[in-house]
Amino acid sequence: MSAPVEETEKPNIDIDRSVGDFRYDVDYAYDAGVGLTEATIDYICDVKQDPEWVREFRKDGYRKFLEKPMPTHWASHDLDNIVFENIRYYLSQGVTPSRTWDDVPEEMKQTFERLGIPEQERKFLAGVEAQFDSEAAYSNIKAAVGEQGVIFVGSTEGLHKHPEIFRKWFGKVIPSSDNKFSALNSAVFSGGSFIYVPPGVKVKHPLQAYFRINAQNFGQFERTLIIADEGSEVMYMEGCTAPKFETATLHSAVVELVALKGAKIQYVTVQNWSPNVFNLVTKRGLAHEDAEIKWIDCNIGSRLTMKYPGVIMKGRRARGEVISIALASDGQHQDTGAKMIHAADDTTSNVVSKSISIGTGIATYRGLVDIPPHRKGCKNNTECDALLINSHSRTDTYPAIVTRGNQNACQHEASVSKVNAEQIFYMQQRGLSEGEAMSLAVNGFVNDLVREFPMEYSVELKRLIDLEMEGSVG
Amino acid sequence: MSLSIQNLTASIGDQPILKGLNLEIPKGEVHAIMGKNGSGKSTLAKVMAGHPDYTVTGGDVLLDGESLFTLEEPDQRARAGLFLAFQYPMEIPGVTIANFIRAAVQARLPEGEELEATDYYANLYAKMDALKIARTFTSRSVNEGFSGGEKKRCEILQMAMLEPKYCVLDETDSGLDIDALKIVSEGVNAMRSPDRGFLVITHYQRLLDYIVPDKVHVMVDGRIVMTGDKDLALELEAKGYDWVTEDQLATA
Amino acid sequence: MTSAPEHSVIPEPAAPAANPFPAWFQAEQAAALADYEATPAPTRRDESWRFASLKALDLSAFVPAPPVASEGRLITASTGLGGDAAARLVFGNDTLLHRDAPALPPGVLVKPLAEAARENEALVREFFMAQPVELGSHKYAQLHRARLGGAGVLVHVPKNVEVALPIELFHWVEGENSSVFPHTLIVLGENAKVTVVDHFRSADGARAFACGINDFHLARGAQLTYVAVQDWSRDTLAFHLNSTVVGRDAQATALLMNFGGGHVRGESLSRLVEPGARSVMLSLNPLDGTRHLDQRTLQDHVATDTFSDLLYRNSLDDRSQVIFAGLIRPGVGAARTDGYQKMENLMLSEDAVAHAMPGLEILTDDVRCTHGATSGGVSADELFYMQARGIPENQGRRLIVAGFFRSLLDRIENDSLREKLGALVASRLEVIR
Repeated sequence: MSAPVEETEKPNIDIDRSVGDFRYDVDYAYDAGVGLTEATIDYICDVKQDPEWVREFRKDGYRKFLEKPMPTHWASHDLDNIVFENIRYYLSQGVTPSRTWDDVPEEMKQTFERLGIPEQERKFLAGVEAQFDSEAAYSNIKAAVGEQGVIFVGSTEGLHKHPEIFRKWFGKVIPSSDNKFSALNSAVFSGGSFIYVPPGVKVKHPLQAYFRINAQNFGQFERTLIIADEGSEVMYMEGCTAPKFETATLHSAVVELVALKGAKIQYVTVQNWSPNVFNLVTKRGLAHEDAEIKWIDCNIGSRLTMKYPGVIMKGRRARGEVISIALASDGQHQDTGAKMIHAADDTTSNVVSKSISIGTGIATYRGLVDIPPHRKGCKNNTECDALLINSHSRTDTYPAIVTRGNQNACQHEASVSKVNAEQIFYMQQRGLSEGEAMSLAVNGFVNDLVREFPMEYSVELKRLIDLEMEGSVG
Repeated sequence: MSLSIQNLTASIGDQPILKGLNLEIPKGEVHAIMGKNGSGKSTLAKVMAGHPDYTVTGGDVLLDGESLFTLEEPDQRARAGLFLAFQYPMEIPGVTIANFIRAAVQARLPEGEELEATDYYANLYAKMDALKIARTFTSRSVNEGFSGGEKKRCEILQMAMLEPKYCVLDETDSGLDIDALKIVSEGVNAMRSPDRGFLVITHYQRLLDYIVPDKVHVMVDGRIVMTGDKDLALELEAKGYDWVTEDQLATA
Repeated sequence: MTSAPEHSVIPEPAAPAANPFPAWFQAEQAAALADYEATPAPTRRDESWRFASLKALDLSAFVPAPPVASEGRLITASTGLGGDAAARLVFGNDTLLHRDAPALPPGVLVKPLAEAARENEALVREFFMAQPVELGSHKYAQLHRARLGGAGVLVHVPKNVEVALPIELFHWVEGENSSVFPHTLIVLGENAKVTVVDHFRSADGARAFACGINDFHLARGAQLTYVAVQDWSRDTLAFHLNSTVVGRDAQATALLMNFGGGHVRGESLSRLVEPGARSVMLSLNPLDGTRHLDQRTLQDHVATDTFSDLLYRNSLDDRSQVIFAGLIRPGVGAARTDGYQKMENLMLSEDAVAHAMPGLEILTDDVRCTHGATSGGVSADELFYMQARGIPENQGRRLIVAGFFRSLLDRIENDSLREKLGALVASRLEVIR
């Protein structure tokens, strides 16, 4: 076992990510090397002992990745700074996660202990998967939950052991060709969760996955597929961190959710990436009749995040929701939003997005609401509010709303404001420092959304916001 | 000649609200319906007017002997002589009061007959003056940005202009201060006539000090459970609605 | 990749309608034509053409407009909003048919651009198409410049002069597939004040191509009210590209009404270049049939302490379609920007389609900016209220649509103008079922 390698340089304001800003030197048993070719994909397939259809799926994804242009005609040109040939696409100690923390390799176990994962698991989780670079080091589900027939495993185990459910939905909500990064993920995916909740089963406590990037110049490409069968309910939470490197790290996940008739899925993300991470994620859910899919998303950190969780409301009375908080600090760009496709009658969707731009941070909202022809009784409501902290902070809002017919209603509202100077003065007069006052004001701004997060996360969120706000004033 | 409600049942979705309601309002009389929130008072008003959210599941409402329910559209029932003063009058942006009432009056004229503008405005102004509504209101959009009192006065103005046979006033006193209440009541009283019947729906007795009813009915759970004269309202005020409910249970 | 047809150049009009512009201007036209040809046609990948129907931009069938056949009738039919006008210019197929200026204060210029390019060269050089066309139609703006003929107008109101009555300009197009290129250049000196109304009309209801541009320049304290009444035939392809530059404490109010046109692309840019500048951008569009309206706007707050307010309203009947893409952009340092943008679609039929893209790009913190977009049918509650008063459903719906547009006209400050516009809108809404 090696000692943790502490980062030598301690930047003055970057206390916020100190929780995740450490790493261990690990000797990886499996390493696909640097760069991406067909040989890389074959290596990954061989290590993971993929069935032939998966190998084909990956190669097809790879071809699409090569064909697809960078979406820079609408997205940030910072994407052009990703050097795909410098990235390591697969690193692991082995493909089988441990069922107990005792069996987890020491440096990985220490990583997750420092991040507090085993403790959270004991306190309030129904199951945990802890991914370290390309593979899960630990994956376990509480016995009582497993006995209800709930499956909670990694994507590799899912496709090997439950092919009849896995193949039916895998790649169906988000085809490989959806965008360049979903194609890339399809080529090299590893890790992520596969969850199946049987009909009528309501999983009381959240299932959690934690994604940890430890290696430099690395790309993490987890793939998550959650299927909630008829009338079932599940909440999934994901957290993510990486140490702060000088070089760029790529995180490009694909998450597919399927809520069958009357099912409910809540998907909660609290990301706290270090500022060298390109976080380019495709997330979409398919909601059948009377089903509900809710994305609750908090984006802190990263260099560039592009993430637009979506819901395709395929069955009547299906509901979709995106609740999102984005915090863009100096040098960061949070490009987030929502996609709502009302493919059936009487479907309703709701989007509430709040962003905060600090220093030179850029927060962008992009949305798409689409009511296809001949639908009726569809409703969308979208609210986007942006708060600007410094004079050179930036925020953009680019919604697109397509309404057809006279029996549907879409409503979009957005506002941009700065922190109310009178409010700050009032708080300072009561003895708070300007920074504390600013923190309080920002927390107030997002408070109604923070309450949507599970308790354990909302406390963490408030703390992260406080830390992020330190040093933002002046 | 009367507005006759006969064993009326109605529901919203799968939820029954009116459960066999009987009531007869002869021309020339003012009847009041009192009841707790949720007893179905406002539903009765909307069902008679033909609100699309409600389904009539049984019974009938006869206006001078003709069934209201043979008239499907709300505007047909209105032109047959039924007026509903809304509890929450709608705001209609860009449509002036003058144009709105004019369209409603015009709709009552025979095909091909045009409303004479001078007569119309003379009539409108006279009625606005009586209701103490400033003449500048004619060019304001219907109810848009009005205070609670202004909205209710605008309802009574429409009632006065359209000269219905039967008027249903749904919680017309809600949101009114005492001065506005007096003006509205005077407006209603001025319209009392042997040729017109009134149904006043209210939660409080206070309104009935100003619009004195011939009969007071108490509504509980979609039915009329008690009928009396104006003193019943005072008794209700003193003893509360639970008294009626208990009384009913005792006699049931 | 889907893109608009590449090279569909409208040929130069044949003699005898020789180009009326001076040589320096003609040289610019030649350069513009070369630029038009060199500029690629819009494609699906251009954000400024998102959702647009590019195949509608096929210009290949259009021809130079011949001299009009019914000159007298067009002049007689050129009644505007009603009431007197300070000046009236009537163009038919890009040729001046008539001009009169009964109530023009001294010093005010209202004249064809070709005349102005000779007599007021400095003004034209400084202000004619001085703003880049940055909302997507640069290519078509170059075509406009290249083919601009007799239908350009310069309105110049010098410092401290107020023109009490409106100036009304009429642009007629006649003949199947005729092309016209109307241009209105308005230059207002300090504290100048004027109302200008453009009427765009079809003489015969035939299909035509119109590619029009407006340039407005407001010096300190100037006030401009501009109204466009677009009444092209129902299968005309039209571009209307507006740019407005507003100086210190000046106010521009523009109302664009699209009653006609089969496929109309509108671009409106308001650039607020000095503190205190204000821009009110209004548009009123009752659409029906298969009409298609594609509007792109930019509220460009360059200076500190500027104000803009955009309100666009559409009613959509039958199979009509609308695209609205708007952007409020307070630049770096544009502190105390006050920007509003609201677009509302009243959907009247099962097959109508509305695309809304209200955007914000905020590069400074000290701003108040909001935008909103709504699309929905006529409110069932409002309709019930109408019916409860005895008004039949169809008539109730018509009243609600009329009210929807009438309340937009409340933003016009001039009482007499507002009343005339109200009457015009009311008369045009009879067609809505």
